[in-house]
Amino acid sequence: MTLPAASQPADAYAQLKSEFGSMTAASFQGRMAEYVASGTPIVAGTDDFFPELFTAMEVPFYFVVRQGLELAFHVGKGPEAVDGYNELGGSSSLCSLQKAAAYLLMKGRLPKPSAIVMTSTSCDGQTAVNEMMANYAPWSDVPKMSFDASFEKDEASMEYLGKQWMRFIPLVEKATGRKFDLDRLKEVCEESNRQTRLLFDFQELRRAVPSPVRAEWGFLAYMAARWSGCGRPLATAWLQRLFDTTERRVRDGKGIDGVEEKIRYAWFDILPCWSDQLFPRLERELGAVNLMDLYGYSAPWPVIDTSTLETIFTSFAKRFLIGNPMTRQIFALSTVYGGDAVHIAKNFKCDAILMPSHVGHKDGAASHRVVHDLFREIGVPFLVVGCDVFDERYMTSDVVFNKIEAFFDTSGLRR
Amino acid sequence: MSDSIRPAALKALLTAAASLRNPELDAWTSAGGRVIGYYCPFIPEELFLAGGFLPFRMRGTGSTDTDQADAFFDHLNCPFVRHSFDLALRGDYSFLQGLVVGTGCDHLRRIYDNALHAPLEASFVYLLDHPRTMGSEEEGAEPIVRYYREQLSKLKEALENHFGVAVTVPALRAAISLCNETRRLQRRLYDLSVAPAPKVSASERAAVMMAGASMPKERYNALLSEALKELETAPETPGKALARLMIVGPAIEDPAFYEVFEEQGAAIVVDDTCFGARTVQALVDEEAPDPLTALAKYQVVDMPFCPKIGGSHAHRLRFIQEMVARYRVDGVIAQGYVSCDAWGCSYALLREAMQEAGIPYLRVEREYIHSESGQLSTRIQAFLETTGGRG
Ligand code: SF4
Ligand code: SF4
Repeated sequence: MTLPAASQPADAYAQLKSEFGSMTAASFQGRMAEYVASGTPIVAGTDDFFPELFTAMEVPFYFVVRQGLELAFHVGKGPEAVDGYNELGGSSSLCSLQKAAAYLLMKGRLPKPSAIVMTSTSCDGQTAVNEMMANYAPWSDVPKMSFDASFEKDEASMEYLGKQWMRFIPLVEKATGRKFDLDRLKEVCEESNRQTRLLFDFQELRRAVPSPVRAEWGFLAYMAARWSGCGRPLATAWLQRLFDTTERRVRDGKGIDGVEEKIRYAWFDILPCWSDQLFPRLERELGAVNLMDLYGYSAPWPVIDTSTLETIFTSFAKRFLIGNPMTRQIFALSTVYGGDAVHIAKNFKCDAILMPSHVGHKDGAASHRVVHDLFREIGVPFLVVGCDVFDERYMTSDVVFNKIEAFFDTSGLRR
Repeated sequence: MSDSIRPAALKALLTAAASLRNPELDAWTSAGGRVIGYYCPFIPEELFLAGGFLPFRMRGTGSTDTDQADAFFDHLNCPFVRHSFDLALRGDYSFLQGLVVGTGCDHLRRIYDNALHAPLEASFVYLLDHPRTMGSEEEGAEPIVRYYREQLSKLKEALENHFGVAVTVPALRAAISLCNETRRLQRRLYDLSVAPAPKVSASERAAVMMAGASMPKERYNALLSEALKELETAPETPGKALARLMIVGPAIEDPAFYEVFEEQGAAIVVDDTCFGARTVQALVDEEAPDPLTALAKYQVVDMPFCPKIGGSHAHRLRFIQEMVARYRVDGVIAQGYVSCDAWGCSYALLREAMQEAGIPYLRVEREYIHSESGQLSTRIQAFLETTGGRG
């Protein structure tokens, strides 16, 4: 989960990277300081449950865990925030991203919202941050709604969450003074449908051998579609250009510039904040190319059915629970988690799968046997790394590199 | 009361908790009775009782290592989960015909996946989707109660179809009333600790609570009622504890952990643990037109919650403060496992609240099997000095 530094060297990609930067700067997240300064009402959530609603209402929205990235790890203050959280007396084994987010919250470093939305997903850490938000004294006057997500994924369960979420609209209207317009929401949803289709199409291009782009482009595409530009034509156009550029590359049979692809693997978790230390080295020294990460991977996103407000919100529930990376894999059975890893291994012609087993992912840690047996069936080697994808102090990138190198050696993949 | 004059009924209950199998359970299974294991107080045992099953709350009693479970779970996972699953893999739970797991925390939920994958012997393995939030003040808990009622109804049907039993409304009502009776008796057990020198120790009380989920309910109620009669009329124990403590966190199944506190002269007079006082505070509505709705409401609204449930903090804090006042508590001990984010995270808020209320607070991270006492004793000694012995 990091913005890639050294990326696709081809000019078209440099251009796309620069456009991505501008898009992010113009997004709700990028303009947060401006909103705070002007007193514009903001809504906060614990995750990006239904970004389409906020785009449609033009209500600035941020979700707390992402602030752990933006305001701590991406600016070199992750370790400080993690240590600060530990002093608060919470869970020492909590995901360090959640630690950073909770610390920023408790230290008053997050913009005070006008309304808060919470839902009981994905991990236990998320529930914990919900609780911290709900009980943070300086925000006690902020109206909040807390919703229950079903673990079941049948139609009734999706309607259950969708109907609850719908009740947030009047609260947003009241708290921000912005009017809700169903037609506008439908427009945004149609645009969002185009974006998730492009996400999937772009992913399919990445099956090519050699891989046309690094895995990080999958994450950037995700950010464009879901975080920075959800439902905005500008982001759709950017995704289209990313698709076209990559399609040309695939047609020309080109791999990543300057890399001789010898080992194809997927990093089946969030891209680490210390990606720059690990992935270029794996490419350089071993010819090992990371094809996919958890956020860059989309199973086909459920399409938003724009018939009625109810169908839209039921679709939002489906998108969040069975489309959204991480929630899809964590808040589901082990076979979904393992099944996605197997799907990646097979369809992206991976020589190996790396399971980073991020310390926050207790559910993933409890799925290794299921995953192990699934991989044994298809004969693809996999390695459980056991690192912290945010805080490198837990396991340094050098140690991770050594583990991976040894694994490639013992699996006979080093060529 | 010295050990030699403990009521025989109490001794029977303590024996039942000391191992997984107990004479009452064995008598039940020998007579062809069926047993369903379940993992959390969110899963209403009334449903199993109404189907003619003996509900057994899963624990790790007797486990000494997690070698077998470690093939399924990682060291990052909850030791309680690993120890209890290890026993299941070793066949120590062969007396179960079914296992019901709730969708509570990230660790527990995976028992379902791993039980199917292993696979365990039990022919019926079920994942019950229970709510993970209490709902908003703005809209109340009604939709959540309704949803949970539907999930309970699905579980009921699954039990009926798998085992060929009928879970009828009258049977549910009878089960609710039987379990309420258990709760009333268990409240009286807790009342024994209101006195300056509690008539039962914390480890005894915990064992009696565990026994309640390990043997036929009618028999348990009879034994507990008999034990209480003797304990309540026994003369007051002279003296008083150095400090009266409340313990909070996941269930403590190893009596040795309580003993470290007792050896220091402290008495743990009440708790907020998963086998403990929380489960007896409220009663299920016996008059409700729909017993399944009554059970769902009890689980979602009435029972004080563990921190796996969003929105539970304020509720839990109120409960802790009530217990602190009622049992004249001098200090609160927050305990749990390193891997448990649910409880662990809740302690940042609890610490703050205890500081504001001026209630001494100690955080203890522990293992499932208590092995180290020296360092803990030293910390407890130091803590007791801060409590000032208000009891
Ligand atoms: S543990 Fe995973 S799902 Fe939870 S906050 Fe951390 S990264 Fe997100
Ligand atoms: S102790 Fe914590 S981690 Fe273990 S089962 Fe209970 S809530 Fe889950």
